[in-house]
Amino acid sequence: MKNLMVFVRKEMLHILRDPKSLLIMILLPLVEILLFGFVLRFEINSANIAVYDMAKQTKSIQLVQRLEGGKRFQVIVANSMPEAEAMLLSGEVKAILTIGADFDQKAVAKMESPLQLLLDASDPNLASTLNTYLSATINDFWTENYPQNHLPIITELSQNGDPTPTSPSRHLATSLTIEPMLYYNPLLKSVYATIPGLISVVLMLICALMTSISLTREKETGTMNVLLISPLNPLQIIIGKLLPYLLVSMLNVAIILTLAFTVFGMPLAGSFTMLILVSLLYCLCALALGFLISTKAKTQQLAMMVSLAGLMLPTTLLSGMIYPIQNMPTWLQNITLAIPARWYVSILKHIMIKGSPIAAYGMDIFVLIFITGIIIALSLKSFKIRFR
Amino acid sequence: MQSFISAKNLSKSYGDTLALDDVSFQVYPNEIVGFIGPDGSGKSTLFQILTTLLIPDSGSATIAGFDTGRDFPKIRSSIGYMPGRFSLYPDLSVEENLRFFANIFGSSIEENYEMIKGVYTLLAPFAKRKAGALSGGMKQKLALCCALIHKPLVLFLDEPTTGVDAVSRTEFWDNLVQIRDGGIPIVVSTPYMDEATRCDRVAMIYGGKIMQMDTPEYIIANYQGSLLAIRTQERYLAKQLLSQIKGIDSVFTFGDAIHISLPERTEPIIDEIDAVLQRELSSTYSITEILPNFEDCFLQFMRQKSHE
Amino acid sequence: MNDAIISANKLTRIFGNFTAVDGISFEVYKGEVFGFLGANGAGKTTAMRILCGLLSPSSGSASVCGYDVYRQSEQIKMNIGYMSQRFSLFDDLSVWDNISFYAGIYQMTSAQIKQAGTKILHELELDTYKRRLVGSLPLGWKQKLAFAIAIIHRPQLVFLDEPTGGVDPITRRAFWDMIYQAAAEGITVFVTTHYLDEAEYCDRISIMVKGKIGALGTPKELKAAYHTDSIYNVILSLARGDES
Repeated sequence: MKNLMVFVRKEMLHILRDPKSLLIMILLPLVEILLFGFVLRFEINSANIAVYDMAKQTKSIQLVQRLEGGKRFQVIVANSMPEAEAMLLSGEVKAILTIGADFDQKAVAKMESPLQLLLDASDPNLASTLNTYLSATINDFWTENYPQNHLPIITELSQNGDPTPTSPSRHLATSLTIEPMLYYNPLLKSVYATIPGLISVVLMLICALMTSISLTREKETGTMNVLLISPLNPLQIIIGKLLPYLLVSMLNVAIILTLAFTVFGMPLAGSFTMLILVSLLYCLCALALGFLISTKAKTQQLAMMVSLAGLMLPTTLLSGMIYPIQNMPTWLQNITLAIPARWYVSILKHIMIKGSPIAAYGMDIFVLIFITGIIIALSLKSFKIRFR
Repeated sequence: MQSFISAKNLSKSYGDTLALDDVSFQVYPNEIVGFIGPDGSGKSTLFQILTTLLIPDSGSATIAGFDTGRDFPKIRSSIGYMPGRFSLYPDLSVEENLRFFANIFGSSIEENYEMIKGVYTLLAPFAKRKAGALSGGMKQKLALCCALIHKPLVLFLDEPTTGVDAVSRTEFWDNLVQIRDGGIPIVVSTPYMDEATRCDRVAMIYGGKIMQMDTPEYIIANYQGSLLAIRTQERYLAKQLLSQIKGIDSVFTFGDAIHISLPERTEPIIDEIDAVLQRELSSTYSITEILPNFEDCFLQFMRQKSHE
Repeated sequence: MNDAIISANKLTRIFGNFTAVDGISFEVYKGEVFGFLGANGAGKTTAMRILCGLLSPSSGSASVCGYDVYRQSEQIKMNIGYMSQRFSLFDDLSVWDNISFYAGIYQMTSAQIKQAGTKILHELELDTYKRRLVGSLPLGWKQKLAFAIAIIHRPQLVFLDEPTGGVDPITRRAFWDMIYQAAAEGITVFVTTHYLDEAEYCDRISIMVKGKIGALGTPKELKAAYHTDSIYNVILSLARGDES
C-alpha cells in the first residue's frame, strides 16, 4: 500500500510538472465540446420552406401566418407549383407545403389531403426534423381550430431535391407516431441527444490518451525496466497509473458537465450523485483501455495513434451518438454491445433527460462495470513483466 | 569461495541471431566483474537475463541462490540495476528521483544515505535541479545513486559509461571501487577496453560468447607473441607498408602509434620492418617493443575467433 | 594548403542565462582531420550545430566552406556531410534505398547515384546486401555505411559526431581508415569522439571546457605543452585547472 502511494505521488508530480500537457488535457475537451456542441446540431435554426397556398382562404392564410411566425424556419410564398419546385431543386428551400384549393371546406368535412408536404430528403436528418417541426406546428394550429378533427397530411420525400418522387409513397403521417420523441424532448432540441454522446467521446479519448502516453513514455525512457526490477507488482503499477489520471478525468467531467448545463442548457432530471458515480466508472473504463493499449504499443507515437484513431471512430459511430443503434444491421448492433460509450450514453440520457429511476438503467451500469473489469483483467494479463 | 552469481550454459536467440551462445561464469562476493565487448556482442541480453527481465532459451542462472526464472520477485527486490541510458525521470528533481527509487523498495534516502554518500556529495548542490537538466556525468552519478539507495545485494550496471566523457568515467570507476569495498559485488558491462583494468576480473564477450574470463593482469600476461610499437608522422603510409610484410600477425593503429603483433620476437623480421620503413618513410620513426594493453588482447582474441 | 574551411571568430551562443558556447575562435584547414573534444555539456554539440547551419549564433561570426552561418545556412548544408552515432540511417529502409535517399537529397542525378552507390557497395563489400534492411546489419557495418553515405555527394567538409561509439575495436580502426581515405581525397573531417586514442589519429584537436576552447593544437604539441604523454592527462589537467 505504501509502495502504491509512492507511485501515485510520482505520477502526480509528472502531471503537475508538465502544466502544458495538463492544460491541453483540460482545454481540449472544453474546445471539443463547444465546437461539436454547436456544429453537431441536428435541429434547424434557419431552413427555408416554400408554401404554395392554392386556397387563399381565411383558414389557409391563418395557417401560413402561423408558419411565418415560427422561429425555426423562414417561409417563402410561392405562387405556382413549378415555382415552388424550382426553389426546391435549387436548394433554396428544403420543403414545399402545398395547401389544397378547398382547404377550408375539406377540413371541415374531414376529407383527405388538404395539405401536402414535399421534403428534400437529400439530407435525411434535416428532412425528418423539418417534417417533425412542420407537423407539430400544423398540429397545434389544427387542434386550436378544429379540436375534434383528425389531421391528414401527405408527406413526400424526394431524393436530391428532385420534386417528383420515383415511387410516390403517400401515407398518412399522424402526429401520434412522433409523440414518444416529443415526450422527453418537447422542444426537439437535438443538443439533448448529442451532448451525452459528446461527453462519452471526449472522455474516452482524453482518458485513454493520458494513460497510454504516460505508460509508453516510461518504456521509451527505459524507466519501465527499472520499475519492473523493483518490488512493485503489475497491479500496483496499473493502479498507480490510473488513480492520478482518474483525478484529472474527474476535473474534465466537472468542466464538461458545467458546459453541458450552462452553455447547452442540458437538464438534470435525475440524481447528480449517480451522474458523477457513473462518470467515474466510465473514466476508469477509458483509462484502463488506455493502459491496455500501452501494454501493446512500444512508442508514445503508436499509443497516441491507436488511442485516437482506434477509439474515436467506434465511440462516435457505435455509441448511438449520431446513428441510432436500432437502425443498424444486427451484427453491428451486436458489436455496439462491447462499446463502453453505448452504455454510458444510455445511462446519461436516463439520468439527465428522462430522470428515470435507477432500475431503468441498472442493467447498463452493470454492463459497464463488467466491461471495465474485463479490460482491467486483460491489461493485467498482457502487462509484460519480462521481455521476450 | 562460494560464488554469489552462477550462470550455467545460458543461450538466447532472436530469430536467426544467436545473441548469447552457451555462456557460463561465476561472480564472487566483493569483486567487480566486467563484461567487455562491442555493441551487439550479447552484453545486454546477458544483463536482461541476470536481472530477470528475460528468460533464456536454455541454461540457468542463480543470484544469491535464487533462480532468475522461478524466484524473480525475490531477486527483483534485492538487486540494484542501472540500465544503459540512465533511466531517470527527467521532469523530476534529483532528490525526487532518488526518493522515488528508494521508496518503491520500501526504503528511504535517510535510512540508506551511507550507501550513496560518496557519490551523492557531488550531486547534493543540484538536489532541486530537474534530472533532465543535468550533464551526462551528473546523470550517470544520479542513476548510480538510484540503483544503490535501497542497499542492494549486488549492482548490475549495463554500459554505465557509454557516451560519458573520459574524466567523468574515471571518477565513476573510483566510485565503483568504493562501493565494492563497501561489500557490494558489481557486474558491469562496457564497450571501452581501457576500463578493463579497473575490474577485478573481466570477461571478453564477442559474438554471444565469452572468449576469455580472468583477471586483466592474467589476460595481458598471457598475450601470445610479441608486440612492437612504431611511432611515425606518416602513420597511414606506414600502416599500409607494414600490412604487406609477411610474418606479421596484425597491424593496428593505437593512438599515436602502430602496434604490430609478431608470433615471436625474432631479429630478422624486426630488421625487415626497419628496412622497409627506412626505405619508404621520409621522416623519422621509432620501433620499440612494448607490453600489450587490454585492447591488444581483445583484438588478438577477436582475430583468433574469426580465424576459427 | 593552409586555407581555412571553417573559421570561427568569437562565436557565442546563449540559451536563456546559460552560455553554451562562449566566444570561441578557431580555424579548421582544408584537408585536415580535426578532432573536436570536450566533456558532456562543454558545448561541443551546440558549436557543431552552429557550424552545420542548424542553429544561429547569438553573437560572433563564423564561415563554413566560405558561407556565412547567419545568412547562408542553405549553401552550407549543400556543401557539408553529417553523420552521427545516434541518427544516421533509416533502419526500415534497405541499404540501397538509404543510399539513393541521401544522394537524392543532394540533388544527384540517377546516373550519379547509381555510380556512386555501386562504388560504396563494392568498397564496403556490401554488394550482396543491397536489398537488405539496414536495421538487420551489424552496428559496425551500419556505421561504415553511414559514413560512406555522408560523403556520397563529395562534400568539402564532413562532420562526424561520435561516429564510433560502441563499435568493436577492429571496426573502429577500419572506420578510421575510411576517414583517412576521405581526407586523402581532399574532404576535410571534423570529428568528435570519447575514445582518446582516436584523438591521437587527428591532425589537430581542440578541447572544449565549459563553452570555451581550453586547448588547441596537434596531439604532440598539446602533450608537450602539458608535459605528459597522454591526451587523457591533458584533458584531466584542463578539467582540474577549470575547477580551481
